[in-house]
Amino acid sequence: MLPATADIKRLLAAIDGATVAEEALGVIARVPLAAVNEALGAIKAAGYESLVDFDGIDTGELIELTYRLRSFSLDLEVHVKSTVAYGGTIESVWYEYPSALMPERETAELLGIHLAGHPNPKRLLTTDGVEPLLRKDVAIRTVEEVKAR
Amino acid sequence: MNGGSEETLATGVLGEGRHDPGTPPAGLRRAPAGVDGLTTEHLIINMGPQHPSTHGVLRVLVEVDGEEVVAAEVSVGYLHRGIEKLAEYRRYDAVGTLLDRGDYISGMMAELAFALATEQLMDVEVPRKAHWLRSLASEINRITSHLIWYGTFGLDAGGMGQFLYGMRDREALLDILEALSGSRMMFNYIRPGGVLADMPTGLDAKIRAFLGTFDQYLDEHDQLLGGNEIFQARVKGVGVIDRSTALAFGLTGSNLRGAGVDFDVRKARPYAAYPELDFEVPLGTNGDAWDRYNVRMAEMRQSARMIGQLIDGMPEGPHMAKVPRIIRPRAGEVYASVESTRGETGIHLVSDGTEHPYRMHYRGPSLFAAQALEEILPGHLIADVVVIIGSTDVMLGEIDR
Amino acid sequence: MAIERLTGEHSMLFVRSEQLFDLARRHSLWYLSFGIACCAIEGLMSTSGPRFDFDRMGVFPRSSPRQVDVMIVAGTVNKKMAETVKRLYDQMPEPKWVIAMGSCASTGGPFREYPNVVLGVDKIVPVDVYVPGCPPRPESVQYAFIQLQKKIAKRTEERLAARNG
Repeated sequence: MLPATADIKRLLAAIDGATVAEEALGVIARVPLAAVNEALGAIKAAGYESLVDFDGIDTGELIELTYRLRSFSLDLEVHVKSTVAYGGTIESVWYEYPSALMPERETAELLGIHLAGHPNPKRLLTTDGVEPLLRKDVAIRTVEEVKAR
Repeated sequence: MNGGSEETLATGVLGEGRHDPGTPPAGLRRAPAGVDGLTTEHLIINMGPQHPSTHGVLRVLVEVDGEEVVAAEVSVGYLHRGIEKLAEYRRYDAVGTLLDRGDYISGMMAELAFALATEQLMDVEVPRKAHWLRSLASEINRITSHLIWYGTFGLDAGGMGQFLYGMRDREALLDILEALSGSRMMFNYIRPGGVLADMPTGLDAKIRAFLGTFDQYLDEHDQLLGGNEIFQARVKGVGVIDRSTALAFGLTGSNLRGAGVDFDVRKARPYAAYPELDFEVPLGTNGDAWDRYNVRMAEMRQSARMIGQLIDGMPEGPHMAKVPRIIRPRAGEVYASVESTRGETGIHLVSDGTEHPYRMHYRGPSLFAAQALEEILPGHLIADVVVIIGSTDVMLGEIDR
Repeated sequence: MAIERLTGEHSMLFVRSEQLFDLARRHSLWYLSFGIACCAIEGLMSTSGPRFDFDRMGVFPRSSPRQVDVMIVAGTVNKKMAETVKRLYDQMPEPKWVIAMGSCASTGGPFREYPNVVLGVDKIVPVDVYVPGCPPRPESVQYAFIQLQKKIAKRTEERLAARNG
């Protein structure tokens, strides 16, 4: 269920540039990339003990990261969003939420960004030399390529 | 991705320093240093991707000190085939074919999650009958999946008979699913707007005939595997996932409920016909493999109970809402999650108003269970590794996607 | 031929040793329990289950590649997996056969457009029988084994004919 927007706003009051809004996705807190760890720490301290999902979206200009956090005791869910440029570096949040370990590796690999502070920043799914496949500028095989297999 | 860590597979680097850039957060276990002060040479054992007990192509590197596991690394990606990427090139009614092959032994749930996400952007009212058929298909599929888990978990622990009995019941259910959807495993039955087809004539009698014997068979199954003293000795107290670890690693489903956390998407965020159904959510207490076993066996009983209710109360009416032939939902971003066999399957869908999704993220609950293995395995004996992997019920199709 | 002539009290059968080995090989095709993806459920698990029961054909799973005759490639092979498939094939003792089960192993299947997927396992190891379907039903896999038995018999006949020829 959705928390009150004012509650999340109060949690993130110390962070410059943080906005909270309720959209179709749920309650979304948008924070600058540098403040992601601080924001997640503040939200975790309020009882959101689990990171349920993490993914990145290639919007065409930059990459939008979505952290989906849940509090099982309060039965509430909140999304934290941030953006990073192509080839940029994101700070790992594994210290707050260990469940981000593999999703972060996957996102970094498939969207071509770098990880900092991650205990094991290797590739997760593909081998060396495979381009970031979830980027919009990486095309899938054409019909001709498949037919000429 | 960082400089110097480009290699695909680490060999011989499972040590502490590599895994531990700082002090571990409270509640996380660290590998013990030696047994009684005496240290033997550590050995790294590779398990998988071809291994009969890894349930697919999971690869686990296990560092052992004698018989004791001191560190483990889960290496996945041997089945990465781009479900998320290819969904951006498929129409909305065809994405289900990809999601079926994600969690391939319970495909209905991922289809349902995608259909629920799409419908949030479509302004369509799904008929009541479609809701009930969706729940019916999901619950039948849940039993088939749990029966596979039951058979293979027993195989991991050294039994063979329960596999044959489990597969016997699963074949009966696959016949029902085939009559319902046209396929044994890859259904693409649940579409945005409803379900593909109505129940064929006579199927309800077939399901009732199955339910008539299933409760007794389930007792037999439970007695055959769970009543076995050797099996109990191998699973009791093994692979304990306590509440804090389960929450920290984002576990859902039976793995979470085995630790005593009462969270079931069917109860907490009701969808399809579940608000109208009467069922219980079985819970464990300690979070060990035995609890997870009992939770899953009890879930099968509850699913059978729900199937009976769904057959008895199946409403009349259309099974599909009026949706355009080419679905173009409005632009937006939504998230829908369902309780699949292994936990919470979520679809994060971004639409830009065209006939293809702009981005679809598929949350596989097994990914979170697999990364929790790195935390659970240290401290156990090497013979327990396969039992713990079996008890978490990981499915590689939805880990790698 | 009537079976009692072979099993009666004074029965005697003259057969070439190659044909005898061939008979044994055809009816004890042990396969590697190596499931990659969805097809493994249909091709390796259902088939060893009670309904389809490949054991009656002498088709039986083994866990080590050093003990098997047949590898069923059941699933999508991607670039990371390709090396493992090749290594497993190399570890199998001769004579060995490969069944490419399902459209993924044959051509890449529904995932053929993804750049990380290998377009058919025949790019990596030689394939003897292709089974269409996504996933193929267990009956299809049974038919594939019957075709493989025919192929083995035919190869021996051809070899004998060439030598005597």
